[in-house]
Amino acid sequence: MAALCRVRHRWKRTNCIKLLTRNLTGTFDYDLVVIGGGSGGLACSKEAAQLGQKVAVLDYVEPSVKGTKWGIGGTCVNVGCIPKKLMHQAALLGTALKDAQKYGWQIPGPISHNWSTMAEAVQNHVRSLNWGHRVQLQDKEVKYLNIKGSLVDEHTVKGLTRTGKEIMLTAKNIVIATGGRPKYPTHIPGAVEHGITSDDIFWLKESPGKTLVVGASYVALECAGFLTGIGLDTTVMVRSIPLRGFDQQMAGLVTDYMEAYGTKFSWRSVPKSVDKLASGALQVTWTDKQTGKDQRDTFDSVLWAVGRAPETKTLSLEKVGVKLNEESGKILVAADESTSVPNIYAFGDIGEGRPELTPTAIKAGKLLARRLAGQTNELMNYDNVATTVFTPLEYGCVGLSEEEAESRHGKDSIEVYHAFYKPLEFTVAERDASQCYIKVVCKRGGDQRILGLHFTGPNAGEVTQGFAMGFQCGATLTHLMETVGIHPTCAEELTKVNVSKRSGLDATVTGC
Amino acid sequence: MSHYEEVKVHGYDEFSKAVSERKGKDIFAYFSGDKDAQGLSWCPDCVKGNIIILLRGEMFHLPEGSVFFYCQVGESWKDPNNEFKKTLKLSGVPTLIRYGTPQKLVEEECFKADLVRMMFTED
Repeated sequence: MAALCRVRHRWKRTNCIKLLTRNLTGTFDYDLVVIGGGSGGLACSKEAAQLGQKVAVLDYVEPSVKGTKWGIGGTCVNVGCIPKKLMHQAALLGTALKDAQKYGWQIPGPISHNWSTMAEAVQNHVRSLNWGHRVQLQDKEVKYLNIKGSLVDEHTVKGLTRTGKEIMLTAKNIVIATGGRPKYPTHIPGAVEHGITSDDIFWLKESPGKTLVVGASYVALECAGFLTGIGLDTTVMVRSIPLRGFDQQMAGLVTDYMEAYGTKFSWRSVPKSVDKLASGALQVTWTDKQTGKDQRDTFDSVLWAVGRAPETKTLSLEKVGVKLNEESGKILVAADESTSVPNIYAFGDIGEGRPELTPTAIKAGKLLARRLAGQTNELMNYDNVATTVFTPLEYGCVGLSEEEAESRHGKDSIEVYHAFYKPLEFTVAERDASQCYIKVVCKRGGDQRILGLHFTGPNAGEVTQGFAMGFQCGATLTHLMETVGIHPTCAEELTKVNVSKRSGLDATVTGC
Repeated sequence: MSHYEEVKVHGYDEFSKAVSERKGKDIFAYFSGDKDAQGLSWCPDCVKGNIIILLRGEMFHLPEGSVFFYCQVGESWKDPNNEFKKTLKLSGVPTLIRYGTPQKLVEEECFKADLVRMMFTED
């Protein structure tokens, strides 16, 4: 309610100021200028254009330290979700080929993976997506400018072309959707000179070889996961805990599976330096925090996955008065994506407190465009967003982690139902399903409202999506129990969950 | 003298051979249904007067030293497994492609001068 009131007043105030400005200076070049052509920026600009607004979108990719650059579409299309999922698929197919023999397939000789073949195919697909976006923008009459945008004042954006030419654009409203880029641990000698990040891994023409992945975020684990899956010697270096912010029991199952499947983990380790040897290999020295001793090993590649930084440095935000969160550096935004400057908005990864996800950026962008065109007052709902971590054993979830539920409601007010299950496909393949697990965190008593739902297993994303809708509708354990499962699937185990953690009973699913 | 080379070919083998003779060049190709002596075609859209005029109008934007192929697909098109479909992944005619890249314009997209220009001028 308060947020809506704020929006109304601001709109009234802005309207007055804008009327004044327009009378003094005439009309603006554009109704809307969007800085950033990623998942959010493109969705917002296309929607605005469809609603009859005159829109321009500025997209510019500053090459990575290693010189990697890419086309329109942002992180998701070029150096995130899309190439990640394709390489994850490549790795899963490797496992499937091994399983295939148990299912009767005669595979002559050892199976090996060719990085260049996979990389070329993935890169070609990404390029076709870049082209698709270009055609769509042209089709929807969105002006696309491959220029680096920055703010001059609240209605003016300055653009710098690759050749250094300056372009000025005026706009009624400005939207910032510049997202983020991977961080380098600049305090570690050799880190910048010798390491790569997720910006580079998907565009390598040659195999990264024996790789050290530093970090324990989903970026780190997903990358390490597919690298292991395609047959590369991979080590993950973790400072403290894996998947910070996620349910820690589930995070443990994810890493346990990875360890069982060949990914090496260096727990409680902090890198100290990276040196390049005469052979070209990288020697990494790190401190084992448990023993206090230094260790050393050589790798072909070092992949830093130690967090992402918002792309705000070159936007000249301070000049115009757009306030940032001091700690994260992200732009402070209200429920309607507005910033501290009336007609400037920011959303997607750049917004403080926002999920760093493509679907939320897309939806928020579309709603923002509709609000700016006066078509709706609807705000983006950032709650109940389902996600999946595409590690070798995938982990899908929606709602609260067990820890978060405990913290909000108290341990005595929640009931956690769980089950260890075995996917049918694993049986013939003689695969270990020890980490295939389901957890439904509920409010205790009554219909037992579901607070959080967690699933590790094959196709976790596909499994979780449907249950996310139930969650959005306020599903209770009763609803879950009343749902008849589809047999034989892994997903049906969610409808059969009945053993609570509190009971202390064995949660292993037995037979049909 | 134009800054690009224009090549007319008929059928997949001719196209393939002409492309291999021009390795390293920036190649654009317009695939169309065959035209008979009267200029009629089983694919009326492909030979519609304005599409050819449109393409001609945009050729000014072709990069220096590039090659523009005008390729009639020939009778083999009737076969669902023809080389154009299999190897070049053509889904229909007319299609305009930038050879070796995912850049392509299919059917109605070919009729938009701004899209054609975008393909010719894209880096």
